[in-house]
Amino acid sequence: MSTETLPPLLALGLLGAGTAAVGAIGGVGGAILLVPGLVLLGVEPLVAAPLGLLLVAAGSLAAAPSQLEQGLVHHRLGITLEIAGSAGVILGALVSDALPGPVLARLLGLVALAAAVAGGRRGGLRNPPGAVFASETPGEWPGTLGGAYRLGAEMVPYTARRLPLGLLAVLASGLVSGIAGVGGGFIKTPTMSEVMHVPVKVAAATSTFTVGITAAAGLIVYGGQGRIELEAAAAVVVGGLSGGTLGALAQQHLHPAQVRRVLSVVLVVIGLILVVRG
Amino acid sequence: MSEEDLPGAGPPPNPLAGRQRRLVITLRVATVVAFTFGVAALVLPGEAGRVVAAAMVVVLVVTPLARVAWLVLRWGLRRDWRFAGAGVALLTVVALGLLTH
Repeated sequence: MSTETLPPLLALGLLGAGTAAVGAIGGVGGAILLVPGLVLLGVEPLVAAPLGLLLVAAGSLAAAPSQLEQGLVHHRLGITLEIAGSAGVILGALVSDALPGPVLARLLGLVALAAAVAGGRRGGLRNPPGAVFASETPGEWPGTLGGAYRLGAEMVPYTARRLPLGLLAVLASGLVSGIAGVGGGFIKTPTMSEVMHVPVKVAAATSTFTVGITAAAGLIVYGGQGRIELEAAAAVVVGGLSGGTLGALAQQHLHPAQVRRVLSVVLVVIGLILVVRG
Repeated sequence: MSEEDLPGAGPPPNPLAGRQRRLVITLRVATVVAFTFGVAALVLPGEAGRVVAAAMVVVLVVTPLARVAWLVLRWGLRRDWRFAGAGVALLTVVALGLLTH
């Protein structure tokens, strides 16, 4: 494993800031851009992946307080699903250490293509507001995988369905995270939203909560493998936290769907290059 | 148009948020600490910088796990055994990652 190909710290910080900002605006997470971008620049996938998970961990931590205050995170659902996600990321991190660099790069390319498709298809109002729930307090309902959240002036009740299928998908997303160093939110959010019928906003916030745990579990394994470059890590995290904050502010003035479409095109280009070049 | 794209669709502050105020404050402090450690790691030379960067990584790894532990305790106190058990199972799986060292 060589760290000589890592860009200078200032460039890493700017890359972290840029990808975190664009990720925050588009709602896809910055690592899905950072890791393939670093590999395109010649960084070994084994070195790039931990930097991706550090960016994921920083983004998840920074977003947590406001999402908690809005009552959007469903902790019970997140923790239940994350049992599979964490098992997946540990397995993926162990497998990735044994895979040759070109194979990892091609896998990363496929992940970028999958993220592009997921980002392009995202959206849709599945859970309509229910008048009978108008007096409910937003948040999760104790002892269940259900809850309610406020959409405008109305309350939207929901209950997560098809848990076994959700667990399988999150296990797969954990594997992808461990191998590629990306958060896996592009799998988790559509799984919760489209498969488990959880409202998009709750799914996105719960996914942000769970990717922080996924990243922690993956980083524990990467740390044991000696794959975390500490100086590079500091540059990426400082850049990521700054860029994520700026991105969240800019999001109020931009249209997330349009940003996601542009991101999808960028990811397709990066993904194809990585798949072809290896 | 997706839910998140609806203008003004964002929910107002959760009236229950006060119950999780300590958690919110802790997470804000952890974010500031991680950022500060990161900046210090870039400024401090040599081994000192590496030690502070390692501390930053520890903050990023421990904080979400401490959040899960806090939720397990909270649910246990409320006799929500099913989900307290799920939290313990999750922490056990993550701890298995340490065995790979």
